[in-house]
Amino acid sequence: MKYSIANVRNIGISAHIDSGKTTLTERILFYTKRIHAIHDVKGKDGIGATMDSMELEKERGITIASAATYCQWNDHQINIIDTPGHVDFTIEVERSLRVLDGAVLVLCAVGGVQSQSITVDQQMKRYNVPCIAFINKCDRSGANPFRVVGQLREKLGHNPVSMQIPIGLEADFEGVVDLISMQALYFDGPNGEDIRIEAVPEALLAEAVKYREKMIDAASMFCDELMEAALENAVTEKLLLSALRKGVLSRRITPVFMGSAYKNKGVQPLLDAVTRLLPCPSEVSNEALDMENDENRTILSGNPEDPLVALAFKLEDGTYGQLTYVRVYQGELAKGQSVINVRTGNKVKIGRLVRMHASQMEDIESIPAGYIGALFGIDCASGDTFTSPGIHLTMTSMYVPKPVISLAIAPKDHKAEINMSKALNRFSKEDPTFKVHASEETGETIISGMGELHLDVYVERMRREYKAEVTTGQPRVAYRETITRKAEFDYTHRKQTGGAGQYGRIGGYIEPVIDEDFVFENKVTGGAIPTQYIPACEKGFRNCLAKGPKLKFPITGIKVVINDGASHSVDSSDMAFQAAARGAFLEALAKAGPVILEPIMKVVVETPTEFQGAVMGTLNQRRGIILGTQDEGPMCTIEAQSPLAEMFGYATVLRSSTQGKAQFTMEFQTYKQVPQSIAEELVKKASEKRVA
Amino acid sequence: MLKKDLILKNPLRHLEYETEDILPEGGFGAILSRAGVGKTALLVQLALNNMLRNKNILHISLNEPVKKIGLWYESALRNIAAQHHIQEIHKLWEAILPHRFIMSFRVEGFSVPRLEERLTDLSEQGIFFPQMVLIDGLPFDENTDGCLKELKEFARAHALHVWFAVRTHRDDETGENGIPQQFSSVSDLFEVVVQLQPEGKQIHVKLLKGRVGVSDYRPLFLDPSTMLIKEAS
Repeated sequence: MKYSIANVRNIGISAHIDSGKTTLTERILFYTKRIHAIHDVKGKDGIGATMDSMELEKERGITIASAATYCQWNDHQINIIDTPGHVDFTIEVERSLRVLDGAVLVLCAVGGVQSQSITVDQQMKRYNVPCIAFINKCDRSGANPFRVVGQLREKLGHNPVSMQIPIGLEADFEGVVDLISMQALYFDGPNGEDIRIEAVPEALLAEAVKYREKMIDAASMFCDELMEAALENAVTEKLLLSALRKGVLSRRITPVFMGSAYKNKGVQPLLDAVTRLLPCPSEVSNEALDMENDENRTILSGNPEDPLVALAFKLEDGTYGQLTYVRVYQGELAKGQSVINVRTGNKVKIGRLVRMHASQMEDIESIPAGYIGALFGIDCASGDTFTSPGIHLTMTSMYVPKPVISLAIAPKDHKAEINMSKALNRFSKEDPTFKVHASEETGETIISGMGELHLDVYVERMRREYKAEVTTGQPRVAYRETITRKAEFDYTHRKQTGGAGQYGRIGGYIEPVIDEDFVFENKVTGGAIPTQYIPACEKGFRNCLAKGPKLKFPITGIKVVINDGASHSVDSSDMAFQAAARGAFLEALAKAGPVILEPIMKVVVETPTEFQGAVMGTLNQRRGIILGTQDEGPMCTIEAQSPLAEMFGYATVLRSSTQGKAQFTMEFQTYKQVPQSIAEELVKKASEKRVA
Repeated sequence: MLKKDLILKNPLRHLEYETEDILPEGGFGAILSRAGVGKTALLVQLALNNMLRNKNILHISLNEPVKKIGLWYESALRNIAAQHHIQEIHKLWEAILPHRFIMSFRVEGFSVPRLEERLTDLSEQGIFFPQMVLIDGLPFDENTDGCLKELKEFARAHALHVWFAVRTHRDDETGENGIPQQFSSVSDLFEVVVQLQPEGKQIHVKLLKGRVGVSDYRPLFLDPSTMLIKEAS
């Protein structure tokens, strides 16, 4: 690769669904000459935007998988990761953000900062990704970019700085005034490719000067030289950009650009900004965990000469087998090289390396540090780290939440069965929040994930991409069981049925514990239980946790302490103590106030104010606790907590009660005790099911 | 048990009566201070104290988002729990959370008829019936008089206790009773007025109007490190 690392940008385009990020990406690819025609999301020509390579995405008009692609602009190489916009696919977004050095936060000039933008922004904060903002859809009726700038400050806590002001708005949106060069930019030609530069229109001059001053004020916080230059009225473009860049890199400034990707306006200046303001890979420090040193954090050098450290962040099924997207953090990944997959310890040889452009590709010889590429023929899971032999570093493990909902699926015929298994294998490798297991009782295949839509999309993908027709059961909530108080046990297991007998006595107590699934503590003194049987006791208790007495869901948050017992020189055995532990556990559990826990979701609904009452009613009917409401002019946001069990089909209910004008996001928040009456009902249903 | 302990240990009982609120039904209370001294912190503690007593609190904030106000509550409760060495704070939190409802408005979007509309939405559907209302961020200027009078009627009609956080300014002139001039035109509407006054390293909670002269009144302070109210050491 001929480019120097300073000219590389790995960026993501993150935003709320429908704020137009796929359209924006499409325009970027057009202006950087990676594609030669523009197709729109939900386009009438039936082709769809280039980045939405999955059929389903084209149909729903949403981006699910983050395809990586690359393009060139002004001698810079830009790798773009298109990120999904729906909260149910959050793991995809987080994984993408992990490999990015900077991001463009796309906001809708009409809708402004919406709940999903808040989630995405929090994720960016978590991974410390510097960003610039692009306020899209300035041509739409109701567009008000300055309101959105205000929301960036109020809702997201950014320090937004307008880099442009719009020339006209809504239907009259013509172009933008660039506040750095103080020129008006118009976008001519059939696809806006010809930029016409003119003087700032007289009517906008005063406003432009005002916003430029604000920008200089904000930027001068990061550069004394600029502050002095501002006082002497001698601000240069270079000085201003360098100060702004410092602010962006430390996440203390968010430059805001404006335009309309759909109307081909404002995209080229945004590309300039990506190259001028966002960091190159060597300006971002990346950490890995040293597996030989208690997983201590180690800063990676980013030097291509050092041993290799690379992260597989995305898998896709290509025509030639599994395609693995990798980001190289240190060293160089070259064709023919042997590397170690840190998770499995296996040595693998790199076959084909490619650079991706959505669903097309280009062969390359190597991927140096800081670059993103893809490789073929390597069997690995998403999130795996590849290193040179002898290096024991792993990239920071990503936070993976546990699934909260499950669904039984069954193939319709034999052909579907084979395809379904292929699909499930792929999905669980691609997405760590998507899990598959076979039910021990019914033998059904159970898939679990983070929400209703999350599972829906995978079932849909099975049908479309793998031609696996499946039937689905009712979604099931992942309940848990726990105890509420301390209870003692003293249980003797004794069996004498001819031959060697079984004998074991265990005494102690169980009690609730926070933030742990299971804790076992041995306080037996004086050899009341011989040491060799202690592991059998622990195993006996642990085996009881898989299924609780009420709903047969796992028991969590329990601490077992054993402090007494007895053994027999002949009749005691591992098996006898395991059986004693089981008996002891059941004895204590009944006294320890067992309860059922259910997943509680954080629900945020955005609705026009006139439907506020109706929406609150729908949430209240679902056992939701409404935490608050936020009035923002014509729209309002309602925040609530609601049990997942009550939220099935909420999208339909919300649509019908708000004429389709409201939208909501939902994410797992915590587990809470199920109210007594509901718990009784659940237990009754579960026992009826068992009898049936 | 846990709740009862906290209520008993709460120094705010000196500001309020042991068994009933310092404010009568339909009464107004004001917490006056300059910016950043601790008005919201004190409001939140008043709210928590009442939530512990199973009273429903409507917290109205002008300009601050719901999430931020939620964080105020969580941090105040955490600090209170740490002070009294209470372990199972999450259980307590779950128990009192249904007693709170936050409404956030933009200053310009807030009006009594709008509040009434929102509250009707809540009460008609049986979602929430407030007993105490906290209003944070209402600008006290020449335009506020009308709004306050409407609110007073509203509070009386619904038997609400209403507390306001009132921002004062360093150069405000004060009247005889220590009440700033800016506030004096509406002070008749208020039954209780409390001022937060930084004195050295302490923040003094001064009662300007209300239970002044009551014999068992002990001076209270805000601890600047936790923003929790405490008795004079």
